[in-house]
Order: sequence, then structure tokens, then C-alpha cells
Amino acid sequence: MANKSSSRSRQEEINEPELTPEEAALVLRIGVFVNMRWLAIAGVIIASLLADLVLNVRFPLTPLYIICAVMVAYNFILFLQARNLKVESSGSTPKSLAIRLGNLAPLHLMPKRGATLIEKARFIGNIHIALDLIVLIMLLHFAGGIENPFIFYFIFHVMIAGILLHYRVVYFLATAAILLVSLLVGLEYSGVIPHVHLEGFASTELYQQGNYIMGVLIALASCIYGSAYMVTQISGELRKRQREVVTLKDIGISEKVKELRDITKELTKLEEGREKLLHFLGIVAHDLKAPLSAVQSYLQLMVGGFVGTISDKQREMMDRSIYRINGLLNLISDLLDISRIESGQIVSEVEETSLLAIIEDSVEDAHALAEIKNIKLTVEVPKTLPQIEASDIRIQQVITNLLSNAIKFTPEKGNIKIKAINKRNLIQVEVADTGTGISSEDLPHIFEDFYRGGDQEKAGTGLGLSIAKRVIEAHGGRIWAESPNPEDNKGRGCKFCCTLPKKLAQISGKKEKVKPGKKQ
Amino acid sequence: MAKKVLVVDDDPDMRNAITIILESQDYKIITAQDGVEALASLRAEQPDLMILDLLMPNMDGFAVLKTLQDGRWSKYRETPILILSSVREDASRRRYELETALELNVDDYIEKPVSPDILIQRVNNLLKDKGD
Repeated sequence: MANKSSSRSRQEEINEPELTPEEAALVLRIGVFVNMRWLAIAGVIIASLLADLVLNVRFPLTPLYIICAVMVAYNFILFLQARNLKVESSGSTPKSLAIRLGNLAPLHLMPKRGATLIEKARFIGNIHIALDLIVLIMLLHFAGGIENPFIFYFIFHVMIAGILLHYRVVYFLATAAILLVSLLVGLEYSGVIPHVHLEGFASTELYQQGNYIMGVLIALASCIYGSAYMVTQISGELRKRQREVVTLKDIGISEKVKELRDITKELTKLEEGREKLLHFLGIVAHDLKAPLSAVQSYLQLMVGGFVGTISDKQREMMDRSIYRINGLLNLISDLLDISRIESGQIVSEVEETSLLAIIEDSVEDAHALAEIKNIKLTVEVPKTLPQIEASDIRIQQVITNLLSNAIKFTPEKGNIKIKAINKRNLIQVEVADTGTGISSEDLPHIFEDFYRGGDQEKAGTGLGLSIAKRVIEAHGGRIWAESPNPEDNKGRGCKFCCTLPKKLAQISGKKEKVKPGKKQ
Repeated sequence: MAKKVLVVDDDPDMRNAITIILESQDYKIITAQDGVEALASLRAEQPDLMILDLLMPNMDGFAVLKTLQDGRWSKYRETPILILSSVREDASRRRYELETALELNVDDYIEKPVSPDILIQRVNNLLKDKGD
């Protein structure tokens, strides 16, 4: 709740207040009442003209028009006030209103300094209604008093008050209206003030007929009280609903805020856990590497004949041991790579890099291997290839991996082609071969961790392509494979493609959701 | 006269293996198990080459390299250094640059494990470079 009030006051400060439904309805209604008053003024003029010209009712019109002019004047002032009605309307009462207030002392409920919008609107409403009451009584007096059937228009007056004002004020006004009408009629009846006769409409004696007067007054009083009751009940209910809506909305918002806070906390915890795990993975990998390196060194010493001669059988076993330990060391080095990439280290490795140089280096490394198998290695890289923002070590790792895979799975005398295509915002690198290809069952999984294709003999750690995918995606690129190689006319082999953006607007070492590749 | 090689590694088996490999080439081997010992030996023995591991307790290889930048050690700045570490070269270089804002200035870098032949070849190279 404390939060709520502070946010409310902040809204006021920025002078862009948001009205509650109740406030908005009240402001809207004050506007409606000003408009209704324009209509009423027009109505009075039209009705008096009609009475005069059509019904041939004779009575002096000048006082009516003077009253109408007064109404126009104060309605205009109220119209301006209603337009300025805002949550923070500088806390003071407008001057014009304050002057008027002196005359209306019995009816006004002066709002305190810094009053709420509802209090202010109600105050303005009080003024409206009090003015209207006086004007109506005067209109009635100059338009025939008890003779005029428009006497029942006091009901409208009370209904409007009921919608706009506090119910106590409404009952007060209803009583005041009845008393004032009774007073007017009574004074006219007893001859204290002159009676205006509606010539040609009612009998000249009507205002002297006590029974008729009593009947009309009783009917008027019951109608006024009845409508006061009805309207205050209905609008009271409505206001309650509006407040409930606000409360419910606030509860809803505070619940959502709490939910969000919980989720954020949970996410932070998960992220911390992930970082701990990566750190742990890095340490474990290192601690595995140290003893293995020592064992490897001893084995190599023995095989190398540094510590005396060994039998062929022993040599064979030691060679196997060295081979197996190399496999383990490769796995550890892959795990270290993953922990480095996943913890976002690529960010610190990024610099302006020549992809051309990287590809040339990778090809040079791969050349010896390709030559052993008599594989033709073709390079199609434009010399004009622009510099890109990338980690050269990691990209070289990926390209070397793709090339050595291609060599591994391409039989003797096959072809391997590496190509770089300069596109608008990115460079696409393709490694295509005429090798054994990838089965359609394997194809969707080859970038997964520890996934080994059907040919278990040739498979390495099962992490090479998953690391490649991590590296490319950390650069904001995409990697995918197609098999068979669409460029091979015999339908053999496969093609690996990866894209690298030239500029890294926002590089991320963390795993992001990727759109699936064309054929994955 | 046989050249003196200082081997710094916290792993006793690693020290032993390197010693056997290099003694086969008639080098005189001195060993140290951390950075503190390494600096002491450097001063006392004045070796012709230091083979330095990076990750060690007490004082690691990075700290040794940093100490050698100090003016008081300028006498030993000419001694070639061969890093022999299980950490990849690029990772070590980045770490050293981040920690000291200096470039990792060593004569050679080998990632463990190393085959005896390669170690011998690289050590020979470094000691040949030195002239005499």
C-alpha cells in the first residue's frame, strides 16, 4: 500500500495524471451538466417563445431573458472551470469561484487546500446545483409560479445533484427545493410578492386555490424525494463498483510485480548456478589434464627408449595407451573449450580479423592430411574478402574442424572445396566434400553434444561440431549441414555452411535460441 | 661445458620426466617446484634456460614472469624462457595481458603433454640461438 501512494504522488509530479475511473466519470459528468445547462437555457427561450407565439399565453418575457443571460454567464465560467479540472489543479480555488462563494455561504462546502479531485469536483458541483436552484425558483416565479407545469423540472435538478454530489447534499437540496417552491407559492398565495399570471393558459384564480396548491406541492415533494432516493442509491452503487475496480487493478498489478520479482530472482539463481558449474567444469578438466600429461610423458619416455629397451609387445601396448590418453586429452581440451565459450570468453577475444588469412592457415594445416589420402583440396576465397569482427582462434578452430571432418569422411582421390561468399552483412563459408555423407537420421543431430554418427570408428570426442556451433552462434552466425552435397553431380558427400556477420552489434557468448537451418 | 636448464613444475612426475629427457641430451638439470624456488635457483645457479610451468601453488609462473620485469632482475632478462603448461597459449597470453597489461614475452611456449622429441628439439633451438 505504501508503494501505491508513492507511485500516485510521482504521477502527480510529472503533471500527466491518470484519473481513476471514479474521477474520470465525475469530470465527464460535470462536462455533461454544463452542456445540459446550455440546452436548458435554449429550452427556456424556446418554451417561452412557443407559449407566447403558438399557445398565445401572455406574460412578461423580459425577466426570463434576463435570467437566461445570467445563466449563460455563470455556465460559461463553470465550463472553463470544468475544463481545468485536473488531479493537481494547484490546490487553490479559482478566484471567480471564491467570490461567488461568499453569496452562497449556506450551501457551499469549501474544499480544503490540496483537496482531492473528487472533493474539488463535488465542490464545483455544489456551486452548480445551488446556482441552478436559485435560477429555477426565479424562473418559476416569473413564469407563472404554481400555474406553470414546468414546476416538475425541479426533479431533474435533484437527479443531477444525485449523480454528481454526496447523498447528504442531495437530500439537503431536495428539501431546500421543496421549501423554496412552497415558500414562493405561499408568498404569492398570501400576496406578499406579486403573482405573474400566464394569461390564456391557466385560470386567474389557480394560484389562490389552496387545495390545488397543496396537491401539486405534495406530488412535487414525493417525486423529488423519490428520485433523490433512487438516484443516490444507483450512483452510490456505481461509485462503489468503480472503487472496487481500482482496488482490484492495484491488487493485480502488485501481484504481477511480485511474480516478476520472483522470476528475476529465480533466473539470477539459475545463472549463478550455471556459472558455478562452468567454473567447476573448467577446474575439473584442468585437474584431469595434469596427471594425464605426466602419465603421457612417462609412456613416451618408455616408448622413446629413454629408460631402457622394451619388448615389441610392451611397445604396442604403450602405443595404444598413448593413443587412448590422447583421446582423453582431446576430450578434456574440448570440455575446456565449451566452458570457455559458454562463459562468454569469446567476447574478449573478438577483434578485426581477416577471414581470408584464417582460411588460408586452416587449409595449410589440412593440406598434409589431404595429400596422404590423395584428396584434391580446392579453395575459392575472393582476395577482396573484407575484415570481420571475430575471434580468429575460435573461427580457425571451426574451419579446421570442418576441414578435418571432411578429410576424415572423404575416401581416397575425393574432392573437398572450401568457399567463402561475400554477402551483404555477412560472409558465408562452405566446406563441401564428396565423402560418405550424413544419413538423414544423423543429420538433425550432428551438432548435439557427444553425438557420434553411425561410423563409430572414425568418430572423435563427439564434441567437435557442437563446439563449432557454439562458436558460430556466439558470433551471431548460423551453422548447418546439407547431405548429400548439392554441388556433387553424383549425389555424394555433404556440405557444411556457416555464416558470420561482418559487424558484431551485440556479441553474446551465451547460448541463444537459434532458428533452425534450411535443411535441419 | 654442459648447459644448465632450470625446470620449474609443481608436478614431481613432470619434473622427473623432463629431467630424464633432457639429461639424455647432456644438459645439467636443476629443478624447482614453485615460483619462489625458481627465482632462488635462477639467482644461485644462473641457468642457461628456464622451463617454466604456469599453474603452481605458492607463486605461479605468471608471478615469476612479472617479477622478472622488475629492474632488480634485469640481469636475468637475457635468460631464455620456455613455458611448458597445460593451459593453451592464447588463454595464457590473454590472462597475462589482463593481469599485467603487458605482453607475455617468452621465448617459446609448449602445451602439455609434449613428446620427448619435440621438447628436445625446442630446447636445442633455444640454446643454439643464444650463440656460443
